[in-house]
Amino acid sequence: MKEKRNLILLAGLVFLHLVLISVQAPKGDEPAYFERAIFAVFTPIQHGIAAFFQKARDFWNNYFYFRQVQKQNQSLRAELFMLRQENQLLKNILKGYQGAEEIQRLLSPLSRSIIVASVIGVDSGHVYKSVVLNKGSVDGVKKDMVILDRRGRLVGRVIEPITFKQARVQLITDEESGVGVLSEQNRVIGVLNGGPTGKCLMRYVLKTNRDISEGEEIVTSGYDGVYPSRIPVGRIVSIAEDTTLFKSIVVEPYFDFSELDRVAVLAVDLRDLE
Amino acid sequence: MRDFKKVVLGILLAVFVYSVLGKISAPLVVVFNAFAWVVLYFGLVRQEASGAVIGTVCGLLQDSFSSGVFGVAGLTKTLLGFSTGVVARKINVTPVDRSFVFLLVMATAEVALWKLLNFFLFRESLSLGGGLVLLQPLATALVVTVFYQIVKKKQGEAT
Repeated sequence: MKEKRNLILLAGLVFLHLVLISVQAPKGDEPAYFERAIFAVFTPIQHGIAAFFQKARDFWNNYFYFRQVQKQNQSLRAELFMLRQENQLLKNILKGYQGAEEIQRLLSPLSRSIIVASVIGVDSGHVYKSVVLNKGSVDGVKKDMVILDRRGRLVGRVIEPITFKQARVQLITDEESGVGVLSEQNRVIGVLNGGPTGKCLMRYVLKTNRDISEGEEIVTSGYDGVYPSRIPVGRIVSIAEDTTLFKSIVVEPYFDFSELDRVAVLAVDLRDLE
Repeated sequence: MRDFKKVVLGILLAVFVYSVLGKISAPLVVVFNAFAWVVLYFGLVRQEASGAVIGTVCGLLQDSFSSGVFGVAGLTKTLLGFSTGVVARKINVTPVDRSFVFLLVMATAEVALWKLLNFFLFRESLSLGGGLVLLQPLATALVVTVFYQIVKKKQGEAT
């Protein structure tokens, strides 16, 4: 009797999961409302834990280390972070422009275009797929905004769901991600997808193309309509050929998971400035 | 009631461990699946009904921290908790070596089922992400075996 009851319980739970999975069938580009609701309910837990650790770390720093030096150091690091972002963005944009007036026009919106965010969660099932940020719609974060690491190198883009104080980021190492890229030296165009081991694959470069080599830097091309051009992405670590028409190019992304505690969200569409 | 508190504490600890590991290094959450620890442990000591319910809770929690489809880890962990409870009731898995092998088999089956579900339902690749996920069953079996043996020893001393 007890075994029968247990089996009924199991059947009920399995049915519940199958229903849960079924109701999440995506409707076009919009994520299911259910997925949004789940994200909204559970991300505050991550936010809380991240905030707890941050507070604990701050407490430790403030009371057990040299207080003033630590404060100054933190402030300088924050400033350095912003300056690096601005510097990288400016370098990228100025490559294509000349003339003082034009540069002045470009500079003014950039200083207000960076939202500094912290990563509060990683994907439990697929580490290289996504992360969760502690900034959301209240802070001005919107879908498809570009995410850069502390050195201004490409990390990914904001995807749904976005709640008031949290947002999910699709990493460029996600197998479902696609970034329009080109090689810095000879401007060979391709599409960058994530690979299974945290590396990326540059696709659709024909075998007959001899203008690409190992060690070359890869930057965004801007042709995908999401990422602005000339953002550093990574470096080619290997090129091989298989039975297909295309080369098999492995790219090591520049961004490092261990440095992802702080990232920059580009709140301005740099393509408008180009 | 006391057991209920233990279950809640276990789940909270799993969330805590997951968050800490994610902060230290992201790939660690692949190797150390704290939700699986809780499901296996309570499946062992509380048998199949509790194992299935705790599996559901832990699995859905894991799903909520993932960008994958909500319910896949829930389904696999429900089956894990239930089957662990059934087997633990029918054969003696108390000795250290037996419990380790048993937990290793169960944890491996769970990872395999999770991968296969993602592959068949959502056409995700079957790649092993550099092999890190292969360490998960080993780490899970090791952690749960050690914890289970310590608790058993403490209970033995108390009685």
